[in-house]
Amino acid sequence: MTVSPVGRDIDRVDGRSKVTGTARYSADYPASNLAHAYLVTSTIGRGSIRTMDTTAAQNAPGVVGVYSPANPLGLRLVPGIGEQYAPLEDTQIRFRGQIIAMVVAESSRQARDAAGLISPTYDEQPPRTSLADEPRVPAAGPPGHPPSALVLAPGVASIEAALAASDVVVEASFHQPMQHAVAMEPHAVLAEWNSDHTQLTLYSGAQLPHTAALGAAIRLGVPPTAVRLITPYVGGAFGSRVIPWYDAPLAAAAARQLNRPVRLVLAREQVFTVVGHRSAVNQTIKLGASRGGVLNAVSHVSDASMPFVGYRQMQPAVDTSAVLYKTPNLHFDQRHVMLDVPPTCAMRAPNEAPGAFALETAMDELAVATGIDPVELRQRNYATVVPGTGLRWSSKHLDDCYRVGVRRFGWSARRAEPRSRVDGQWLVGMGMATAIYPGNRIPDPVQVRVRLRDDDTAVVSSATADTGTGGLTMLAITGAHGLGVPLRRVKSELGDTNLPPGAPAVGSMATASTVPAVEAAVNAAVAELIKVAVTDPRSPWQGANSEDLTYENGHLRGRGISMSFGRLLTTVGRPSVEATAAAQPGPEATQYEFHSFGAHFCEVRVNRYTGEPRVTRFTTVVDVGRVVNAQAVRSQIVGGVIFGIGHALLEDNPLELDTGRLAASNMADYMVPVNADIPAIDVHWLDRPDSVLNSLGARGAGELGTVGSAAAVGNAIYNATGTRIRSLPITLDKLL
Amino acid sequence: MRAYTFTQPRSVREAVAHAGEGAAFLAGGTTLVDLMKLDVMAPTRVVDINRLPLRGIKLDPDGLHIGALERMSDVAVDRNVRRDYPMIAQALELSASAQLRNMASIGGNLLQRTRCGYFRDVTTPCNKREPGSGCSALTRINRTHAILGTSDDCVATHPSDLAVALVALGTDVHLATAQGTRTVPLDTFYALPGSTPHVENVLRPGELVTGITVPRSMWAANSVYLKIRDRQSYEFALASAAVAFEWRGRTIKQARIAVGGVGTTPWPLPAVERALAGQPATADTFEAAVSTAADGARPLSQNAFKRELLRRTLVRAFTVLAESR
Ligand SMILES: Cc1cc2nc3c(=O)[nH]c(=O)nc-3n(C[C@H](O)[C@H](O)[C@H](O)COP(=O)(O)OP(=O)(O)OC[C@H]3O[C@@H](n4cnc5c(N)ncnc54)[C@H](O)[C@@H]3O)c2cc1C
Ligand code: SF4
Repeated sequence: MTVSPVGRDIDRVDGRSKVTGTARYSADYPASNLAHAYLVTSTIGRGSIRTMDTTAAQNAPGVVGVYSPANPLGLRLVPGIGEQYAPLEDTQIRFRGQIIAMVVAESSRQARDAAGLISPTYDEQPPRTSLADEPRVPAAGPPGHPPSALVLAPGVASIEAALAASDVVVEASFHQPMQHAVAMEPHAVLAEWNSDHTQLTLYSGAQLPHTAALGAAIRLGVPPTAVRLITPYVGGAFGSRVIPWYDAPLAAAAARQLNRPVRLVLAREQVFTVVGHRSAVNQTIKLGASRGGVLNAVSHVSDASMPFVGYRQMQPAVDTSAVLYKTPNLHFDQRHVMLDVPPTCAMRAPNEAPGAFALETAMDELAVATGIDPVELRQRNYATVVPGTGLRWSSKHLDDCYRVGVRRFGWSARRAEPRSRVDGQWLVGMGMATAIYPGNRIPDPVQVRVRLRDDDTAVVSSATADTGTGGLTMLAITGAHGLGVPLRRVKSELGDTNLPPGAPAVGSMATASTVPAVEAAVNAAVAELIKVAVTDPRSPWQGANSEDLTYENGHLRGRGISMSFGRLLTTVGRPSVEATAAAQPGPEATQYEFHSFGAHFCEVRVNRYTGEPRVTRFTTVVDVGRVVNAQAVRSQIVGGVIFGIGHALLEDNPLELDTGRLAASNMADYMVPVNADIPAIDVHWLDRPDSVLNSLGARGAGELGTVGSAAAVGNAIYNATGTRIRSLPITLDKLL
Repeated sequence: MRAYTFTQPRSVREAVAHAGEGAAFLAGGTTLVDLMKLDVMAPTRVVDINRLPLRGIKLDPDGLHIGALERMSDVAVDRNVRRDYPMIAQALELSASAQLRNMASIGGNLLQRTRCGYFRDVTTPCNKREPGSGCSALTRINRTHAILGTSDDCVATHPSDLAVALVALGTDVHLATAQGTRTVPLDTFYALPGSTPHVENVLRPGELVTGITVPRSMWAANSVYLKIRDRQSYEFALASAAVAFEWRGRTIKQARIAVGGVGTTPWPLPAVERALAGQPATADTFEAAVSTAADGARPLSQNAFKRELLRRTLVRAFTVLAESR
């Protein structure tokens, strides 16, 4: 009997190749006769290029091509998807840091040197950069996600009336600056055409391989089938590799013109503007409650920056205030301010992280206003059905997250009165917040192929992506589980559009969406195996009824004979059998609400003299259904919490309002936490399978830890100091 | 990066003969190579000095002698440094990252360039990089900039932590040119920006830093370097304090103080030193002494907090030192 690897601590199957440097990332692929590209970006925030002299660059050593509005590459934009402009196709400047030229040379250094010789002149206009600006336009959400909503109890005239009728009202406004994913691997691409330019191979990091290939194909004006994208290893994505940017199309178009492969690696400073960031957002929350802390009204209004070039709309209320607490009166309105800023993208917990920072801080303020313990306050407002829709959750054990978290963290030692715990130079405080993130499966069919081989190994393949999340290991684990064979006998493959289209590595959906497809593919492959068993003349089961054969733990049994699939395949002289199957959600998708939940508890120390906040303890308890790989889930939650600590205390990229210039252009100035900023993070999961979602009961965990963790830190800082900071990041100057 | 000639001399004489206008010495390269890539520094000649015999960390009756090419990490772990000059070891260990400290030299550290974001971005005006082009930081992003020693032409901080500790301890810098050698006290080595922010120190064209001497004193062993920043590692100081006390019983006989992160150069605070001298080490003494620490500060739109932060950093450093007695 083979023990299933599901739920155990499984090392990454690609761990060795990563730590020994043999794993190939996009810029590592070799190619013969390779040329190297370097981008030139705009140094004004809005306007147009008046002149651009590229002669010096063209004559620079090693240069083989200079592309600019005077010599464009003919790229097309994809209406409604990604940025709504095509670089080099006109002279308009839409934001500072926009691509305005590309130099291709024999070496990357020559390309960079030549790029430095291009200095255009501009006709400047003042960029529109302030979040306080008009016009504000309503967000246009995906179906089922309206930009605004108003639910009122019978007889209540307006949300204002509901608030006015409440015993206690908390109103608070929050600001969160732009945030960047700053994945370790800068965006990079190698583009290589076949000799007659009918087939393009792109090596480029992508969270959705097929979508990235399709996006590149449309922008290049070639059929989707002409593009193969290879992306087995991705050095972090966090949303910055969802939508295909213009790096791959530019490299591919140049490669086509030059008749040789082209590699383009973005310089670190270019990553801050050429690929997306999370919008800056202002939010106002109003909570009306009884003296006992029971909510009567929740109102959540947001104004997020929205670049004129597109593409991501931030909607911080829909998956936070609209679903988290029980309330008879609910109002949200999510608006945008159109600005001349670089494109946005869906950064990890795109809506939920900012939304939860605002809501969960406001809830802490309500706890203070009512004198009720923050955990108790949340339990008093526990939602068992979705407010407004009345839909039930597939599985919800948030109450247990609170309960277990309180115990593990030692929450009872907290004193409600701020500044009541002092340890030497340090004020010590505790805070908590709730985490919530959608637990969906992708609505589209997800395909997986399972191949059984004559050496008793299996290959599980699907064109999903592993952005460092552990997707490759998840495929192997679920394959081994389905086939009932040891993990070491299963090889997995992903990140190649030649494989069957798999789950997107977005929205914490990859695992939940892939699990049913692996199961279907295992069943289909076993059916193929049985077909061979009963038809092949060399098979001991030739002529038997399929129903007489059973598959278990890698073996076929029937008529008193048992044989491993490898033995059978060897016996009949076939190297392998395989099957591809698809799975997609059924009617349950609309009958239930699906979310993952969690509770964060955190201890912060603030220096009494100099004000710097330091996180010293953190406990997070999550309800993510069944855990497929304990090690991966722990890492994901820890990583998510670190993201939240970064949002709370460090991440900022000030935008110069008069120029549209972003202050930070490197990882020394754009600060994310370093090891010294992060204490040991205690992660615990409830392991309650969500059997409505899929057969294993596994829900997503990738983004959940990022939701609410910044609020937990801020709430602990309030408890330590008595100072409430509603504008991120909470830096020491705000606490002096 | 632009084309340049590259030489690897083996002696100081040879090195200074290669140097001069348009040349740059290459030590660890953690500032120079970085800024060459960004096109901020564009020497036509790079003189790699790593083969010069400018090594050694020696303690003798005159004090502590450190060769210009000693690596930050080696100095930080030196036993004599840790015992007799703890603030030097602390200032080094609180700088940069382990990888950078393994590369970076003591001479290069003293000559590192400011971290002002505009200085590093050639698409923006910056008087220090391009004299006469204007100072972007004056009216724009300036939270991390200086409040002391600034001018209307430049408000950039001097970034070195080590230099702050060395100024507090009265360090001498040894210099060499083809014409000969000289020694300059570190506290007169750095230049205020004034109307010439591109002139950062008294070095003559092609002059080489060969080493430093930190004198023996009654206070260096009772010293602390306190660095305040948003992130706990791998970040420059918002404010820092290098403080050394000579004790007489419970009384501070003498104090030596310099601060970083707030000045355009490492900033000594003689008035605060005087206010502490002969006083008991009490909270009241400390508060009274720092009341004038930020006098003369010229805060910018985003860094007014540094006045208060400076005073509190000093009080915290004094308290730490008093408690560790
Ligand atoms: C990401 C990052 C973070 C950092 N954080 C900190 C920090 O927190 N605190 C801190 O103090 N520093 C910090 N640093 C700066 C670091 O300490 C300096 O870059 C380093 O000390 C410079 O030494 P080097 O030997 O590499 O100098 P190089 O880069 O080789 O040279 C620097 C300059 O000095 C000149 N030079 C070098 N040696 C001599 C000599 N002997 N005589 C004359 N001229 C010479 C060079 O020509 C050049 O102009 C950081 C650096 C980086 C990149
Ligand atoms: S502060 Fe100094 S270095 Fe910074 S922009 Fe102004 S002149 Fe340049």
